[in-house]
Amino acid sequence: MIGIAPLFASFGGAIEFILTPQTSNVTGGNTVGGLDQVIELMLAQLEVTVLALALSILIALPLGLYLGHKGVGEVAAVGLGNAGRAIPELGLIALMAAVIGVGLGNLTIALAVLGIPPILTNTFVGVREVDAATVQAARGMGMTELEIVRKVEAPMAVTSVFTGIRTATIGIVATATIAPLAGVATLGEFILGEDVYGTDGVLAGAILVAVLALVLEFSLAALQRRMTSKGLKLRPA
Amino acid sequence: MASLAALPLAVVGQVEKGFIQKRTGSACQGKPSHLFCFDWARENIDRYGTPTLQQLELVAISIVIGFVVAFALALLAHRRRWLRPPLLAGTGILYAIPSISFFLLLLPITGRSRETAIIALSAYTLQIIFRNVTVGLDNVPASATDSARGMGMTERQVLWRVEIPLATPEIIGGLRIATVSTIAIATLAVFAGAGGLGTQILGEANLTFPTTILIVIGIVMAMAFFFDAILLTIQYYATPWRRARAS
Amino acid sequence: MPTGEAAPDIQSQSGASSVSYEGATKRYGSSGAFAVDHLTLEVPAGEICVLVGPSGCGKTTAMRMVNRTVEMTEGDVLVGGQSVHDREPAQLRREIGYVIQQIGLFPHRTIAENIGAVPQLLGWKKDRTRARTTELLELIGLDPELGDRYPAQLSGGQQQRVGVARALAADPLVMLMDEPFGAIDPINRERLQNQFLRLQAEIQKTVLFVTHDIDEAIKMGDRIAILREGGKVEQYATPAEILMAPATEFVEDFVGADRALKRLALMRVSDIDLWEAPLAHVGQATAEVRAKLADPDVEVPYPLLVDSERRPLGWLSARDLEAETVPSAPDSPLGPLLDRDDVMRDALADLLQGEAQYAAVVDHAGRIDGVLSVEIISEFLASPQAKTEEHSAVERPHG
Repeated sequence: MIGIAPLFASFGGAIEFILTPQTSNVTGGNTVGGLDQVIELMLAQLEVTVLALALSILIALPLGLYLGHKGVGEVAAVGLGNAGRAIPELGLIALMAAVIGVGLGNLTIALAVLGIPPILTNTFVGVREVDAATVQAARGMGMTELEIVRKVEAPMAVTSVFTGIRTATIGIVATATIAPLAGVATLGEFILGEDVYGTDGVLAGAILVAVLALVLEFSLAALQRRMTSKGLKLRPA
Repeated sequence: MASLAALPLAVVGQVEKGFIQKRTGSACQGKPSHLFCFDWARENIDRYGTPTLQQLELVAISIVIGFVVAFALALLAHRRRWLRPPLLAGTGILYAIPSISFFLLLLPITGRSRETAIIALSAYTLQIIFRNVTVGLDNVPASATDSARGMGMTERQVLWRVEIPLATPEIIGGLRIATVSTIAIATLAVFAGAGGLGTQILGEANLTFPTTILIVIGIVMAMAFFFDAILLTIQYYATPWRRARAS
Repeated sequence: MPTGEAAPDIQSQSGASSVSYEGATKRYGSSGAFAVDHLTLEVPAGEICVLVGPSGCGKTTAMRMVNRTVEMTEGDVLVGGQSVHDREPAQLRREIGYVIQQIGLFPHRTIAENIGAVPQLLGWKKDRTRARTTELLELIGLDPELGDRYPAQLSGGQQQRVGVARALAADPLVMLMDEPFGAIDPINRERLQNQFLRLQAEIQKTVLFVTHDIDEAIKMGDRIAILREGGKVEQYATPAEILMAPATEFVEDFVGADRALKRLALMRVSDIDLWEAPLAHVGQATAEVRAKLADPDVEVPYPLLVDSERRPLGWLSARDLEAETVPSAPDSPLGPLLDRDDVMRDALADLLQGEAQYAAVVDHAGRIDGVLSVEIISEFLASPQAKTEEHSAVERPHG
């Protein structure tokens, strides 16, 4: 274990790296770090995260709602969720870069591969867990199948869908950190480029990635609370 | 591709350098775009043994630690309900922090080591296991605990003889998710300097060679499915009453 | 038996304890509403005391004070003369059987393990527990083979019987039963009630029985305590007294306007004079049967076909009697078949449900004992005898 003082020095150096541009002592001469570069790279990581997340939701949500409503494909929907967890992110990104090629488009697709399974599985499960009597009552009052999905099943599955989206987001934003391997500069630039940014840069990158991930997580949690019907928040006594 | 050139070879201490010659010199010569080179795989499969064992060891230790801590926290929150929201939030934060970032944040404290990887990986599993154990205990029918108390079980007996056995499916369910996820994520332990299969992906020579990437993906996913199947089998035999429905 | 000498009737021979409430009170909050308000009543050993009342009357709370699953705010409950406050709750509960509406069997344990739960807590030897489990399964009329099954593999009625067996396993001094048959369908509920009454005649436990159903209270109780909101006892008496002389307007309302009809719940079929049907045997000459029917004193105008053991098979129609000999398959089915021990109210229900005018009544061996008709019952209800002989009718056949 090391003392408190060097610890302060490490993290202090990282904070300084984030706030002010400095001349790299590793490669010599290059100016690195500073808020401008930090914001640029953070926005880049946010961009690819949002793109991949949007693509995942666009594919997985309708599919999950459809399969859940029809009650078919349980093995596939749940199995895909399990298989998705087993994919090593590092391998996925590296493979994509080596075989398909680098760039934002390819990266978005690769990240969506990580995002789709949890959203699909949780949407499916959320819809299946809606009380059959509620659906029957909706049908009985004359709702069309589409209306049942939109007005009954989807609102009641919100909690589960959001669990899926949050899991997907955590996976995507974490993996976007190694995006530089696929030719897209994100905060991972600091982490993977120790020989350019130095140890301060690596630590700064780690701090920034953690902050970004937590901000996303808290935002989604807040959004989830707002989108959940009041009646569903009440716990049965 | 500037960043590729700037690969963190310093971070990735164990990445081998220069084995590209060995590769191009073998049976795959002349077919550089080969997606999977079987000859090379056959000749070099040995090099994956140690990293696989390293990764297994990291996962095993992390899951055991994560399970013990999360299970204890869940039991605590079961008795003292008010502890649940803060514990959920706390483990939620540990879960949301990307592992790669977690590893590097620990570097100034624990250095480049197995411990660093284990701390971050077990922290990651806490939320999954805590949540599942809590849900499992919540789902125990109140009538069962009521009659358990009514027939004279002490609180400890109610917990160990009724509540925990009945929560087994959810508890093992949480262990399965945690184990599978951790096996995959442990590939990143290379960033903590803890070895593992990530060493066979990182490094410029590997990053442009799909065969080694595919081998790693294959080993990791096979490992995940294998342990998932083992846990599923344990659950099957540990919960005979769930099989005895309609007969 | 700490106070056995001072109060010799505190424990009955079969190992049952009296239960005495002494100003037992439960309030919620420091000055909150009363759930149970200074309850004082005495349940003699070996009797069934039913606590009945509308929801919110504190009946379950009162019952739960006995095994301290609810702690009283004030007052005391004595079990076998000893204050429950002086007992370790877990130890106390192991001597008190506990049956709840949701049954609460342990889904992860076999039927045998469920029944053996309290013996296990008490540290009985495995052989002893196993023998006791088999004995109890037989007692509640379940095949001991079912011991290896899990609760989910049993019907609701079977599960409830297992719940009772589990409560009886360690031969408790007192049984607490909280709406034990509340979740069972009406037909099976009646069966379980009858079975429990037969069982109780044998084991003679002290039972505190909670229900919101006055009919069930009348049927099951040796004594009934009627509680009202706020946990006050309105009347504590035998079922007959409550039906004949409701102490307050509340009791009168709660018992309902159909008190006369409810009295039928206190009677058994064997308590009333049955009619005799002309009997016919297979192969007998129909002329003989027709002669019996011609008798002006005949009470039932249809001949009842019985086998050689005098077990009823069915009713013969006029067309059946046109043949030379009595056919083996009668024209009209038997319809409702009653047992001598059936409660009169249930018998009437069977008659009405079967849309039958007559029902054959059999004894334990299934042999014909007589015929019950709606007419007999209505005559009985109209007769002055129904009002004056209530007390004798109330005596239980198994008490």
